[in-house]
Amino acid sequence: MKRDVLQEKILTILTDDFEFEQPELSDNLRDDHGFDSIDAIELLGKIELLLDFTLTREEKEKAMGIRTINDILDYIETIASSRDT
Amino acid sequence: MKRRVVITACSAITPIGYDKADIIDSLRQGKSGVKPLRDDGLLNKHIHSRVFGTVDYPIDYGFKRQYRKTMGPVAYYACQVAKDVLEHSGLSQEFITSGRLGVAFGSTHGSPTVQRDIYRTFFQELDAKFSSIGAVDYLRSMVHTTAVNITRMFGITGRVIASSTACTTSSQSIGFGYETIKYGMQDAMICGGADEYDTTTVAVFDNLLACSTAYNETPQLTPRPFDSGRDGLVVAEGGGAVLLEEFESAKRRGASILAEVIGFACNNNGGDLILPNLEGITATLRLALEDAGIAPGDVDFISAHATATKMGDVIESQAIEAVYGDNGPFVTGLKSYMGHTMGTCGVIETILTIYMMEQGFIAPTLNLQNIDERCRMLRHVREVTAAPIRIGAIQNFAFGGVNTCLLIRDGKAMDK
Repeated sequence: MKRDVLQEKILTILTDDFEFEQPELSDNLRDDHGFDSIDAIELLGKIELLLDFTLTREEKEKAMGIRTINDILDYIETIASSRDT
Repeated sequence: MKRRVVITACSAITPIGYDKADIIDSLRQGKSGVKPLRDDGLLNKHIHSRVFGTVDYPIDYGFKRQYRKTMGPVAYYACQVAKDVLEHSGLSQEFITSGRLGVAFGSTHGSPTVQRDIYRTFFQELDAKFSSIGAVDYLRSMVHTTAVNITRMFGITGRVIASSTACTTSSQSIGFGYETIKYGMQDAMICGGADEYDTTTVAVFDNLLACSTAYNETPQLTPRPFDSGRDGLVVAEGGGAVLLEEFESAKRRGASILAEVIGFACNNNGGDLILPNLEGITATLRLALEDAGIAPGDVDFISAHATATKMGDVIESQAIEAVYGDNGPFVTGLKSYMGHTMGTCGVIETILTIYMMEQGFIAPTLNLQNIDERCRMLRHVREVTAAPIRIGAIQNFAFGGVNTCLLIRDGKAMDK
């Protein structure tokens, strides 16, 4: 999935499911949108459905370092490329 | 230390209304909140009882997602009535978050709607199972979900008591809240209960032959407490909260005092988990009078548990007669208006009693046309009766053999 397509899908999830208002790629998830650890787990579930694969525990733990929407996109691309190889 | 405890705010979401004026109108006009059972796409077609005490009006919750994400339907009711009592109370934000305010709130079994969604995963393909169990499903469905969603939404840091004893859930909440303040552990408590629309509860009582089935085409004619034509209970939904405060501090801050909680008793039958028990219930009623330090003749009104089951109403009648004798207090079965709101019934019946205290009337038991001979010894209310309730008793009995009795005094009749 190309980054611009992925970006659109993630922004849609954040807007529709997490009720983010006018999200920007550099926004801090917690400070700007009140995103917490419960949300992070919920988002990982949605990413699994979006990409149609199950994340390993190690992959999920790496997601805890995510701070911005850009970080989410980087994270998904990294995971997806590791699956391709 | 024994301190006096007063009720300074209340709110109820019931099948006969949410707004106080609507509820009072329903009580005065004899309007029922029992409706046809809704199709749930699962159990509905197997259940013989086709009636349910339904909250079928819209409620504008306005909760932010930050709070909604950990809430099942039951927590919506709970947080809404908790929000109402805090708003009505005028308590400061500083007090609410001080640790001196606690929460005693419960439900029959958390959120069955969310639990049902979890169960659906058992019937899906393996890969989809894990991701479809949401991270927040436990927080939405756990048995103390109502209490802690209230603490979370309002930043309450005091004690949490999450009673979950079926039909005595919210009467225990009020009773335990009362004791918590009376003995100085907290200065105020939000107390109550909630239960959401749920057909699994109907199925359980249906299988026990305890649900009403003879009035499926005329839902408003059931339940029929104390009536010879009664044929069982009607499951219902709702939520209710009362704010309890220590009397002196409530008076100092000029709070409006609706009622005083003057006594509470809770015991267990010590045996069978389903059958009503005359000895156990009679003891509860006596213990409550003892706790309040009043005589049976001081009580003007009894809100009977009166679910309209065949034996429950008879045993309760015998217990009331044993404690109060001939010419006892007025007795009404308030479930006749809305069915059995399960964990919520104690707080809703307390609030309805407060409304009647304030308005100076007693509502009759709806659908009481021919009194069962075995219940005839009580002073049944057959029509809207203009009479003061200076002291009212709210009686509730639950599966598991748990019995409660609350005694409240009208705020206007208090020695201040």
